Amino acid sequence: MKRLFTPAFLFAVLLLSLGELGAHLFFAKDISGRFEYGYNPDAGFDVRTDGTVHLFRAGGRRFHRQTFPRQRPPGTFRVFVIGDSVPRGPSFKGAYPYLLGEELERHHIRAESVNMALPGYGARRCQVVLRKALEFEPSLIILHVNDSNKYEDEREYRRSLEFKSWHPRNWPMKVFIFRRLYEAKMEKVFWRLLPEQIRLKFAVNDPDAQLAANPDPKEVQARVRLAQETTAENVALAREHHVPLLIITQCRLMPGGPRSYHFETHGLDALDRSLAGDGVAWLSMKSVFSRLPDPRPYFADTGHMKEPGHLLMAKAIVHKILQDEQQLGLAALIRQAKNGGG
Amino acid sequence: MSFITWQYLLFLPLVLIIYWHLPGRWRLWLLLAASYIFYGCWDVRFLALVMTTTAIDYICALSIEGKRMAAGRVLLLALLPAAWLSGCSLFLPAAGIHLVIITVAAALGLAFVAGHELIWRLGGENRSRSFLILSVVFCLSILGFFKYFGFFVDSARTMLEVLGLQTNRVLLNIILPVGISFYTFQSLGYVIDVYRGVSPACSSLLTFATFDAFFPQMVAGPIERGRHLIPQLEQPRAFAPEYLHDGVRLILVGFFKKVFVADNCAILANYVFDPKTPLNGYWAVLGALAFAFQIYGDFSGYTDIARGSAKLLGIDLVVNFRFPYFARNPSDFWGRWHISLSTWFRDYLYIPLGGNRGSKWETVRNLAITMLLAGLWHGASWIFVLWGAYHGVLLILYRVVPALRSLGDENASSRLRGVLAVTLMWILTLAGWAIFRSPNLHELGAWLAALGHWQTALALPWASSSLWLLIHVAPLIFLQLLTWKYRDETNLSRLAWPVRGVVYALMVLMIVSSTAQDTEFIYFQF
Repeated sequence: MKRLFTPAFLFAVLLLSLGELGAHLFFAKDISGRFEYGYNPDAGFDVRTDGTVHLFRAGGRRFHRQTFPRQRPPGTFRVFVIGDSVPRGPSFKGAYPYLLGEELERHHIRAESVNMALPGYGARRCQVVLRKALEFEPSLIILHVNDSNKYEDEREYRRSLEFKSWHPRNWPMKVFIFRRLYEAKMEKVFWRLLPEQIRLKFAVNDPDAQLAANPDPKEVQARVRLAQETTAENVALAREHHVPLLIITQCRLMPGGPRSYHFETHGLDALDRSLAGDGVAWLSMKSVFSRLPDPRPYFADTGHMKEPGHLLMAKAIVHKILQDEQQLGLAALIRQAKNGGG
Repeated sequence: MSFITWQYLLFLPLVLIIYWHLPGRWRLWLLLAASYIFYGCWDVRFLALVMTTTAIDYICALSIEGKRMAAGRVLLLALLPAAWLSGCSLFLPAAGIHLVIITVAAALGLAFVAGHELIWRLGGENRSRSFLILSVVFCLSILGFFKYFGFFVDSARTMLEVLGLQTNRVLLNIILPVGISFYTFQSLGYVIDVYRGVSPACSSLLTFATFDAFFPQMVAGPIERGRHLIPQLEQPRAFAPEYLHDGVRLILVGFFKKVFVADNCAILANYVFDPKTPLNGYWAVLGALAFAFQIYGDFSGYTDIARGSAKLLGIDLVVNFRFPYFARNPSDFWGRWHISLSTWFRDYLYIPLGGNRGSKWETVRNLAITMLLAGLWHGASWIFVLWGAYHGVLLILYRVVPALRSLGDENASSRLRGVLAVTLMWILTLAGWAIFRSPNLHELGAWLAALGHWQTALALPWASSSLWLLIHVAPLIFLQLLTWKYRDETNLSRLAWPVRGVVYALMVLMIVSSTAQDTEFIYFQF
């Protein structure tokens, strides 16, 4: 009986196997949690043997690269900022988490401000990051709450479930290089080459379009409710770990109105005001920018800020921290940090 | 069940494993059961139509050869579809089969039995011819009713309304059974071959039923001839590794053409031929190009998967495509595109009409009739009739205009002339695809009008979309260059095995980069 498989077939299998093996051997760190789309608790956090934590891009988490000691150095005020693309900022040094660190230093507070914000992350995935962040002894966590990423949270959750499932249609996607190639094509080539009208009309496996096309108001309401509940859970989680929390609520700068612009908060301000209390403070972006005669130069679009906007936010946050240090239970810690750990 | 579903990718290996472990005729039982399951996954009700065609043509073919079946057996076979529908109604209430449908099926069966008995009793020299007519009338009536009833009723109503006459709307929502044109033509071809004495009548109902419903090619071809497929079904064979090698290779190439080429080109073609899309000349051309590659990848990909699936069972199906976009003239095109259908029309319509044996005008008439019917075969729509007429006109022009005839001469040795001929034929083919893909005559008019407007502010930028098209077409063209010698993209034997291995690996990667679309094959609707 002749060979069951041809040399060409075996060679093809070998090439594909080598590709898969190579990916696992050389890119194991990047692969880790890749197909959990931000729901893997450890993705992007590299806890090294030298006692440092390294933030890097992996597992659907596009962290700015940062390194900090696993244990908070004595006398250092450590702030973690968790949120979406708004706090992640136009650049690492142009975003308010970094500027916040500088601003705290300007107030002679030895500070360590870490930007843990990730684009497209809603309350649900922020909670996963929050749980991990709580392991690293933060003095304060700033939770930037936005309502525009609920769809993405939902979409990525569905994708993570889909990938975990052993349904036969997912079998090829269990191979890392297949999956990666598929995603690279659908997320990069597809999006870049085809005009949006075509993508939206004939979206192929486009969860955004699927979700957006679903006009069922009950489902939309349910998603908003889920976001509200998740934010409340995040507050409870921080309280449980005795870590002070500052909630920042996003606002959008929209055209129209008597001054040819107006702010929209989608009810977030009301929601997060209700969560403020012992150990939890709240700052509204709207309150920061509505004081300005014309806030438009501070915004890059309706939601994202330019660097001056981030600087303004950093100053407002420092002011808020110092103003509410009693409510947040940070007075002693800040005093220590001002004394340089003495 | 479609080829590009995970169900089929589990179904096929399961069938193969059992098939190669079964002895002799048990394999045919398995193939028949698998074929009915395969087809029944779309709609179990329509299996009654497959059974009807099988029963009628089996009985008629035997009768043509002068073999008379016992009346009781004829009755049993003729009532089998009604019995199937009754069973479905009883065990699958969700199928929604009304008593009226069962009654109609039973009445048709009884009418056939009566016709059959009448022909036998009347006897005479034309008995064989009468059985052929009986088969043709029954099979084409079924096809006509399910495929063309709505079309003719609508057309008649439109015509009457144009004449100012009031009409009542006929409310009859007929679902088109998948692949009805394919299996009807295959079965009819067999009966005609038996009548002509080209092929013997199949004495085994099991073999014939399997031939009629053979799952790899049942719903979208290639349309097989009885003399080619039936002996293969009956021939006992042992498993050979070549079956696996060839079968897997054919399926791989088929998936590549369907999933990578066709489905990705479809995104652009669907956009361009959407009635709401504002077009300019660039987009009109881009849409026609995208559709040309979509339909080729889709249909030839289906054929390759069908051939591969059959090959895994040790059965060869006919080649259906031979690089059609390199044709020099319309006749050459039809010798390369959907070959099993073009040869069917040639052998069972064009040649019986007189072919090109008569005068020039008789040839023109025969070509026109054949191409109009070939167009109508594709679907119950004036667009398909127009497409058939268009190709008919092309065939006639290339026959009667000396300059075109000379340009399209396949024996001409001039390379430049060859390039010109292929280019012209390619442009004409593209225009034909624009007709074929347009949802209606109005949209076809809009597509043609767009060719006169190359600067429309409303239309989207087309350059990056062209790149999208190129990305998905270039690998197919590269594959054709690699397999140019054999005019068959699945024949990579000219390449050294490491190169073949790389080609296979790349194909797998291209397929998986485009999965999860589950787009149906275009030709299922025919």
